[in-house]
Amino acid sequence: MPIAEHLKPSLIELLLAAADDKLMLGHRNSDWTGLGPILEEDIAFSSLAQDEIAHAQTLYEFLGPIAEKDENELAFGRTAEEYRCATIVEPHDEFDWAAAITRQFFCDHFDRLRFRRLAQSNLKPLADLAKRIGAEEQVHVDHADSWMRRLGRGTTEAKQRVQKALDQLAPLAVTLFEPVDGEPALEKDGLYPALEQPMIELWRHEVDGVLKDADLSAAFTDFDPSRKGGRRGIHGAAFGELLEEMSEVYRIEPGAKW
Amino acid sequence: MPSRDSILSDLETIDDPEMPISIVDLGLIERVEILPHPPNGETGRADVEIDILPTFVGCPALDMIRDLVREKLTARGEINEVKVNFLFDPPWSVDRITEAGRARLKEHGVTVPEHGSRLPVHGAPKLTTQLRTSAVPCPFCESRSTYLDSPFGPTRCRMIYYCEACRNSFEHMKRL
Repeated sequence: MPIAEHLKPSLIELLLAAADDKLMLGHRNSDWTGLGPILEEDIAFSSLAQDEIAHAQTLYEFLGPIAEKDENELAFGRTAEEYRCATIVEPHDEFDWAAAITRQFFCDHFDRLRFRRLAQSNLKPLADLAKRIGAEEQVHVDHADSWMRRLGRGTTEAKQRVQKALDQLAPLAVTLFEPVDGEPALEKDGLYPALEQPMIELWRHEVDGVLKDADLSAAFTDFDPSRKGGRRGIHGAAFGELLEEMSEVYRIEPGAKW
Repeated sequence: MPSRDSILSDLETIDDPEMPISIVDLGLIERVEILPHPPNGETGRADVEIDILPTFVGCPALDMIRDLVREKLTARGEINEVKVNFLFDPPWSVDRITEAGRARLKEHGVTVPEHGSRLPVHGAPKLTTQLRTSAVPCPFCESRSTYLDSPFGPTRCRMIYYCEACRNSFEHMKRL
């Protein structure tokens, strides 16, 4: 099925948001390779980084012919305001593992819902891809949930540290829900069909359920629709540094074949 | 004209870059189409189109697999062009791994979920990552006193288990 011309710009925004979230998250996770608090989590964060970056790459490849750009150019060749990632994936975790796993917990639950939605798209190749990514997200969600429970029910220090991370990151988690420009049309035309309830409600239900079970809590607010954020290209200071570091090699010679 | 069987035999000689079994035994090959070229078939030459199902989205071995497939098939002389498509429908699953492939992986300390099994991951109790289960027998001593040590492993498609009987770690393919 060809994509209607008038929907293309919004579809590009939507898929860039998904790919950009994953690229940044994967890059941040890769910082933990060799530095994980235990061997299993060193492996886990390295695998999560591989998963997220592989998903991002495949989404950029998918977008390539639609956006008429090569996947490397999409990944590394844009200016900061052309990125569509949510604010929560931008700041560095400062090697606080409680912050890293909490960020992953919020993003994994969001992504599982996002790809469940995309899996119902009337654009079949996108739906096929989203089904596979969604299945992989399940492993991420199980991993993050089990750690929330372990830390929340663990030692006093573990509980305090993860609660502190939740307090810091909960206000940023809602930035995941900022709509991209043209999202209502994508929903209406079946490219990004709505789920049975608004995404934020489903997400809160899942996340709060795990936190309650883990004897932890988080105070969420709704995304303020009057505020423009990452999905509209407004990024914090940490993003500039992140982008510069990430695209350093690409910028030496854009278009080079490695 | 190259036959489908002869193409599959060639593909059976190509090992997955991350796994000690062939891409055929791993169940990656979904479709092989032989298109006579020129179309009248008088030269006995053909183009070949192959659909491959990636195990994981964006698996880093994909480019290498495509190159190995092209190299192998064009070396035969009777094949001109090889087109490789990567598809997600139908989804690849551990159930596509052949019996021969399972046996060979086991020799290398990698087990594969039984056909139709659900554990682990989906529907598993989620209290800790050290999930105890009798569903995954140890490839070395067959004991079922094993537990999931890490849901992530050396490649994206594998997890790490530990056997309490023979005290060996082993790998288990992920069922998504």
